[in-house]
Amino acid sequence: MVIVAGICLMLWAGWHNLRDRKLALEQAQQHRMAQSMAGQAAKGAAAQGAASSQSDAKETSLEGKPAPQFTLVDLQGKKVSLKDYKGRPVLVNFWATWCAPCKLEMPWFEEFRKKYGPQGFEILGIAEDDAGKDEIAKAVKRINVSYPILLTDPKVSPAYGGVEYLPESFYVDRNGIVQTETSGLGSKDEIEANIKRLVGTGATAPAATTTTAANGQ
Amino acid sequence: MKAAVVALMLTGANIAGVAQQFGDLDGSSNKPKSQEFIVYAAEQQAAVAGKSSVLELNFRVVDGLHVNSHTPKSDLLIATTLTMDAAPGVKVGDAVYPAGSLYSFSFDPSEKLDVYTGGFTVKLPVVAQAGAHTLSGKLRYQACDRAACYPPKILPVQVAVAVR
Repeated sequence: MVIVAGICLMLWAGWHNLRDRKLALEQAQQHRMAQSMAGQAAKGAAAQGAASSQSDAKETSLEGKPAPQFTLVDLQGKKVSLKDYKGRPVLVNFWATWCAPCKLEMPWFEEFRKKYGPQGFEILGIAEDDAGKDEIAKAVKRINVSYPILLTDPKVSPAYGGVEYLPESFYVDRNGIVQTETSGLGSKDEIEANIKRLVGTGATAPAATTTTAANGQ
Repeated sequence: MKAAVVALMLTGANIAGVAQQFGDLDGSSNKPKSQEFIVYAAEQQAAVAGKSSVLELNFRVVDGLHVNSHTPKSDLLIATTLTMDAAPGVKVGDAVYPAGSLYSFSFDPSEKLDVYTGGFTVKLPVVAQAGAHTLSGKLRYQACDRAACYPPKILPVQVAVAVR
């Protein structure tokens, strides 16, 4: 009886947590839409109906557009440019040391970097901190990630639409186009799905070879 | 009639276009996109001349958001801090902050944060000479909702004190 009660409690806790996370995701999405709509307000929204706000939202997003170029400095003082990664799928992630949701997803990124790295996948973490390099380096050590961490400059955030809500992620494909843009924390599964879509069908070729080899036996 | 309606719409669109060029006529689109996440309810305060009095500054965090308290549990988090400028005839003591409440993001229940949500009051001990004084200062804070965080902001604060 106690076991049944325990299982019920676990199921309820899981459902409750899932519901909370869904709420959080919805809030993040709502915020993004509100931001886009606010940006469109000055563009004579009076002349347009509410129905057009969906297409308006796309205008302020970078999805489908070339990722803005940048050259920033990493924690070792080395210059790093987005164009250094031409031909590779890149996740450009804006975060800050004071942003708890940002720090939560960074270990997931590290995991996916190992998993999809063989297909060229890389992550560039841009720290939107006022804090100095040493403080950021200390935080990075605590979070324990090894992908390039870059220090922000006055140009990159406005170029990416004015990153005012952290974390913000831009999934840039091999052609340098922003395939997906997210703001606020997403679920680990969602992030992996975005990465898989970004990396493309590179994984299928080796699988086919294996099957043939197996059949050959 | 139809032509008039079309003409009116075109004029409207034209004006909207011009407005876009110069920004909204009331200037609201020229303001930066950022909003305030804490509202300060300025209230006239009173004090007795030469005696230690406590001023109360009432703030309210916008619904759905939380800010770190004055004593967040990590040194990386940005604390809510009130800084007051010096004012002639008024000796301002150190602000006294309320205790925060425990909060965890749903996606990381293990990390406990110390936050303010809803209304919170910061107390300011002062000793002032008789007269009407206006104290100026700023509240630095950093707000998050359930899934993301906004950059740190500074809210200007003014306190009017009548000292008898």
